[in-house]
Amino acid sequence: MAEEKIVLGIESTAHTLGFGIVSTTGKILANVNYVYKPKEGGIHPREAAQHHSMHAARGVMEALRRAGISPERIDGVAFSAGPGMGPCLRVGATLARALALKLNKPLLAVNHGVAHIEIGRLVTGARDPVVLYIAGGNTLITAYLDGRYRIFGETLDIAAGNCLDAFGIEAGIGPMPNPEVKAREGRKIHPLPYRVKGMDVSFSGLLTAALKLLKKGIRIEDVCLSITETVYSMLTETLERALAFTEKKEILLVGGLARSIRLRQMIEAMAKLHDAKVYVVPPEYAGDNGAMIAWTGALQLLSGLVIRVEESVVKPKFRIDEVEVKWRNLNGSK
Amino acid sequence: MEEPKRIQVIRIGAEAIVSKLRWNGFDLISKHRVPKPYRIPELDRWIRDKRTIHEAKILVELKRAGVPAPAIILLDRSSSTIYMQYIKGIELKKALDELDPVRIEKIAGKLGEIVGKMHLRGIVHGDLTTSNVILDETEKIYLIDFGLSSVSDDVEELAVDIHLLDRSLESAHHKIRERFMKHFLLGYSKIVGRDRTLEILRKVKEIRMRGRYVKRGG
Ligand SMILES: Nc1ncnc2c1ncn2[C@@H]1O[C@H](COP(=O)(O)OP(=O)(O)OP(=O)(O)O)[C@@H](O)[C@H]1O
Ligand SMILES: Nc1ncnc2c1ncn2[C@@H]1O[C@H](COP(=O)(O)OP(=O)(O)OP(=O)(O)O)[C@@H](O)[C@H]1O
Ligand SMILES: [Mg+2]
Repeated sequence: MAEEKIVLGIESTAHTLGFGIVSTTGKILANVNYVYKPKEGGIHPREAAQHHSMHAARGVMEALRRAGISPERIDGVAFSAGPGMGPCLRVGATLARALALKLNKPLLAVNHGVAHIEIGRLVTGARDPVVLYIAGGNTLITAYLDGRYRIFGETLDIAAGNCLDAFGIEAGIGPMPNPEVKAREGRKIHPLPYRVKGMDVSFSGLLTAALKLLKKGIRIEDVCLSITETVYSMLTETLERALAFTEKKEILLVGGLARSIRLRQMIEAMAKLHDAKVYVVPPEYAGDNGAMIAWTGALQLLSGLVIRVEESVVKPKFRIDEVEVKWRNLNGSK
Repeated sequence: MEEPKRIQVIRIGAEAIVSKLRWNGFDLISKHRVPKPYRIPELDRWIRDKRTIHEAKILVELKRAGVPAPAIILLDRSSSTIYMQYIKGIELKKALDELDPVRIEKIAGKLGEIVGKMHLRGIVHGDLTTSNVILDETEKIYLIDFGLSSVSDDVEELAVDIHLLDRSLESAHHKIRERFMKHFLLGYSKIVGRDRTLEILRKVKEIRMRGRYVKRGG
């Protein structure tokens, strides 16, 4: 077995600026995250980028302090190359390049989606799951097949988290988990557009229709119940299809929306029908974080997927299936 | 008339139990949409009923349009069950692992024509994957599984069909994806025309990019 190496990872795709320090054996030594909270409405890429620049230097120092190591101990520097918002991505990439040059260590360009999956597998112990990646900016169903994470289903328009957050904000109760909390007092379900195409889903029509119900004066608790139940049913149903299609026996939930209690309940009930086991990323690693980038960087370092500084461009539309997942055939599944 | 007898359960699919039946000397398929315990009962009932009725209607419409699909025999709405013609053959998904390249090209082209015909009639399949295409012994192609279909001639909807097919090849048969899609599109454009095909392809591209990252509040 090769000697243990240590990787520093930087996350900055959207609202979170994160720093993680993880060893190639999977020890998480530090996970420090700063979250930009917009004063109102959605995220403004430029403001978020400013927030990230402001916390950059402090974040690196804090992560090193928590890990209890000096900068020289770092064997590689990883950053989130995409998908994400250009201005935010560039903050992390610039910082990573500077550190890699200064420390004279390899630079590792990580796909943010792949990182969500890998940290999930690390901390839950799932080996070969069908993954539901549900977050503010992403909704997709993926599984490992022939060297890559292949996409089986995804949203055709907006992400599930985006849909529920936008609804909550428009309705004046705030983003998730508030709509789900309110739904607990709901009594009556109103039909909303249920748009499933194969393993793909579409949420924008449903969002519009739910807001219309509110305007018509339907109880907000009932609208919350209708929108959350419909969104979660669509996700569970498409996940069920993917499970049947791939014939896998594990499900892994990653991304911020994996915190939803009701969605988890539904997926557990579905998995029982198929004798599948459900793994859920714990809250600390569910949302965007630095540790996931560091860990995926460590896996890339082990399999030689490093990048030259001159080539280290950010990719706002970086697709998960563009990544060659070489480490999955290194030794079994880890 | 005798009661249909169940011979075997063919598949416990993601949403339905598909069984083979024997009835007055014919082989039939029953597709029973089972309740899903994870959905709230009202919502569950509503979804199953809607899809069952819809699938039945579309099967009738396809017959009229001359698109090869199982003939519908009976609809039992109370149990969300459709009885239809049994197509003896194998799923394209399985066939693709075994067939040689030349045969694959031929089948892809034929499938393109069939989907083109269906689209010309304003029918969108909604779950166009290689497991929902059956090849019979003579390699005649049938489309099945219309529960998620819709009636529309909106470019977006048509493009989603092509996108789904392409992605099902990409995720499970990536080695032959390009060759298959090329011949599929040749067949498709023969029916719907070159300009319309290009228009739809542009939309397919747009959909692919869209799903990847949509920022909040935007
Ligand atoms: N307690 C909760 N229950 C359910 N959902 C939650 C909860 N808290 C947050 N969320 C959802 O998680 C989302 C945030 O996810 P995440 O932190 O992964 O960030 P993201 O940047 O939006 O994701 P990505 O860039 O990976 O798409 C929010 O938009 C919200 O919908
Ligand atoms: N008319 C038919 N003739 C022969 N076989 C059929 C017929 N209808 C369905 N089947 C078989 O049963 C399988 C499942 O049918 P169908 O796709 O309609 O149900 P489903 O519940 O949507 O399944 P899945 O979710 O797995 O796609 C098909 O892939 C096919 O192998
Ligand atoms: Mg099917």
